[in-house]
Amino acid sequence: MGRRRRRVDRGAAVGALPEAIAALSRTLPAGPSPEIFRRAKFDRPEAAPALWQLLFRVLSPPSADSASASPAQEAQVRAVKSELRSQGYPRRALAQLPEDGSQGSRELLLALAWLLARGPLLERLLAQTRVRLGDEIPLCECEALARPGPPVPRVEADGPVDIRHLQWLMGKLRFQWRKLITSQQEQCALLGKIHSYTRGCHSDRSLGHLSVAETELLRDAEGGQQLLRRLESENVRLEAALRWRRQELVFWRWMDTVLGTCPPEASQPTFVPRIPEQGAGEWELVARELQALQEELRGAAEPRRAAWEARVGGWGPEWSAVQRASREAVGLELAALQRAWERGGAAARPHGPCRLVKSDAGASGGPGLRAAQVIEVLRSREACLEAVLCQLQRQCRQELARLAGALPGLIWILPPGR
Amino acid sequence: MLPADCSRRLVAELRDALDACAERQRQLERSLRVSRRLLRTWEPAETPAPQPTPAPETSGEAPSPESTPSSQDLKELELLTQALEKAVRVRKGISKTGERHKALSLKSGSAATSATTASAPSRPSGQASCGVSETKPPRGIQQTVVPARGLPESRLLSVGDRTCMGRGSRATKPGPGPRDQQIPPSAALQAPEAFTLKEKGADVDCWLPQPLWKPCSGLEGGSPQSAASLSTGFPDRILLRLPMAYRKAASRNSRLWAQLSSAQTSDSMDAAATAKTQFLQKMQMTSGGPGSGLSAAAVEAEVGLLRTACLLLRRRMEEVLSADPADCMQEYRCLLTLEGLQAITEQCLHRLQELRAVVGQQLGPWPVGRRPGASLPCGGGTDPLWSPQLLLYSSTQELQTLEALRLRLAMLDQQIHLEKVLMSDLLPLVGTQGPHWLARCRAVHSLLCEGGERFLTVLRDEPAD
Repeated sequence: MGRRRRRVDRGAAVGALPEAIAALSRTLPAGPSPEIFRRAKFDRPEAAPALWQLLFRVLSPPSADSASASPAQEAQVRAVKSELRSQGYPRRALAQLPEDGSQGSRELLLALAWLLARGPLLERLLAQTRVRLGDEIPLCECEALARPGPPVPRVEADGPVDIRHLQWLMGKLRFQWRKLITSQQEQCALLGKIHSYTRGCHSDRSLGHLSVAETELLRDAEGGQQLLRRLESENVRLEAALRWRRQELVFWRWMDTVLGTCPPEASQPTFVPRIPEQGAGEWELVARELQALQEELRGAAEPRRAAWEARVGGWGPEWSAVQRASREAVGLELAALQRAWERGGAAARPHGPCRLVKSDAGASGGPGLRAAQVIEVLRSREACLEAVLCQLQRQCRQELARLAGALPGLIWILPPGR
Repeated sequence: MLPADCSRRLVAELRDALDACAERQRQLERSLRVSRRLLRTWEPAETPAPQPTPAPETSGEAPSPESTPSSQDLKELELLTQALEKAVRVRKGISKTGERHKALSLKSGSAATSATTASAPSRPSGQASCGVSETKPPRGIQQTVVPARGLPESRLLSVGDRTCMGRGSRATKPGPGPRDQQIPPSAALQAPEAFTLKEKGADVDCWLPQPLWKPCSGLEGGSPQSAASLSTGFPDRILLRLPMAYRKAASRNSRLWAQLSSAQTSDSMDAAATAKTQFLQKMQMTSGGPGSGLSAAAVEAEVGLLRTACLLLRRRMEEVLSADPADCMQEYRCLLTLEGLQAITEQCLHRLQELRAVVGQQLGPWPVGRRPGASLPCGGGTDPLWSPQLLLYSSTQELQTLEALRLRLAMLDQQIHLEKVLMSDLLPLVGTQGPHWLARCRAVHSLLCEGGERFLTVLRDEPAD
């Protein structure tokens, strides 16, 4: 009786919580049932494996999802722990959980809530597994680079190799790129044909023609069924995500209570300082570049400053007002420059995959980027990168010339230029 | 020979580059396969030989009725049976009933027996079924499964069913009776085996997936075009239609995505946002006081940003240095810009040192496995719900140029990264004299300065005496 009264007192909140959790778990890939969440609050061990699995699915990079066999329990546990740690999960209790995945459901629940609270986790997950209906072309490469490819079993070169091996590898790389470019050109031609043959077949006027996926749907009814099923399951997840958005406040209040039931942790740091090994290479590169840049700037600025001082030495006070104005203007420019990388500069450039649509050249206005504009942007970037590469090669050439000049009695005949 | 650690690093880098390239190639091959297949003729899924002659297991069926119908009728029915078999195959493919052979044998067996009976009911049953099934909404590829067993009538019914389903949504009446009988045989005569995407011609509306449905087009509101094209054979252009179920799902999908990405600001969202930040703060507090505030991922992201910073600063410096100042003011501004850039560079270096210290003390091994290659990383802060924008291109040339440029940029990115890595490892080797120094020098020059494409020549300049 008392329980019922409590339930009535809490009113809508009690009913809303399971709904909210149900919506959450439906949005997540491999989401466990609301019962698991409830058990996790009381740190019941039977809830732990499902939560480990969920966190593993959520944290692993998108390409790994297509891998057929999910790794063993210990491997999953280790991967989750290391990923959470690298993202800065504050609670140390997680790291101390046993690797057989049998305990710690409350901690895992807190970890999940932490991930949800930090950023648009659900939206990101949905976007990763989004069903692509059109022929998409990514405008910027960051996605392709951020995703580590499937780990290829590699035979490591154990011992020292000859430099000719490196030359061979470079040659192979060049050849692969050439092959890639020809394949890509063929694919574009085929795509153009498919787009023009299916003109007028799409119900959406702004698109006008079918994409490869849609044409494939028509050709292969079976595959089309699969596509339709995926589309529908995505719709279900999207609706669940919208429901979750409306109801998540209840969840956060509940998570506060969960956090309350945890014993507070002792505040001594238990990190073991370790020497960074591999990624230090990245750090080194950046440090070296920045230092080189600093040297160059100093070399450019100092003589100019000296010359300027010499010229301006005797000029009058009216000059100082002009100077101040210049200083402010330059300050603003540089601040804008700084913002460009601090913000990531993403807003400036179109980002993300674009759906290819073939339309007549006369179609001005209307939504969408024009290929001609994008080509311009890409050309300027190409020029930029080529300049960087040329500059690096020039640097190498100078350095080698300097080293080679140490040895007299040799004539170095450079290969004919491009 | 190169020293071992150097070799290992460089070989690993080059292999990474090769793997990345191979991965792209794999994806491209996949897309190519699909596209090529689409542009060839679309064969039906399986092609068991559609034999109107009875299959062995049905040889027991009485062959005597074969003599009863006329040879012309038989021929027509044979063709119709082939067409129907294809329909059933497609239907089977969709609904996955395993009774293919049975159905075929049934059909082939009974085609002869019920030859006369089939032709007669086809007309009225066709019409009747049309009348009945107009109420059923067309479901595209989610057809209701008509049981495969049974008399040919049911299969004819099913054909008529689909025929009318095809027309049902347009609410056009079924064609006049006499045409029912004429058109299927003639169309079946002319219906090609498979379907090919072609360039445009006369418009004929038709329901896919099989050209079998050309009969429908004749039964459509009686456009003279369709009759004409039927008589000439394969119509030049068929407007393919996406199935209704797919269209509904796709539009719902885009609507939901739009809702999801637009539902960013609302009252409930604000309340939830504050609840979230409070939760995070509490988490931080219960874990024993404020930590370093920096995670390994954040450090890595910052290093990436600093790399972008370096690039942008350098670009700006080059702009300034290459510009000719026209007057005092501009000169002064150039000077100020250079000094400002210098100050910013020093700040960046300082920040980098701080990050190094943080990593060294608290975070343990640097996160591995993330390739640094991008020259201008876009940062992770982009909207994850970016729904695909449209990119309009006008000709295949344009598309090819676009793609070629994209690939070229990726290649340049890779080359620049490799160049830097090779520089840092190989230049010190040339500095030290040793055996085969000349050969090594030459090889390093070609790798670093010519991208491995050309070699220089070294001549020994001996005094002639």
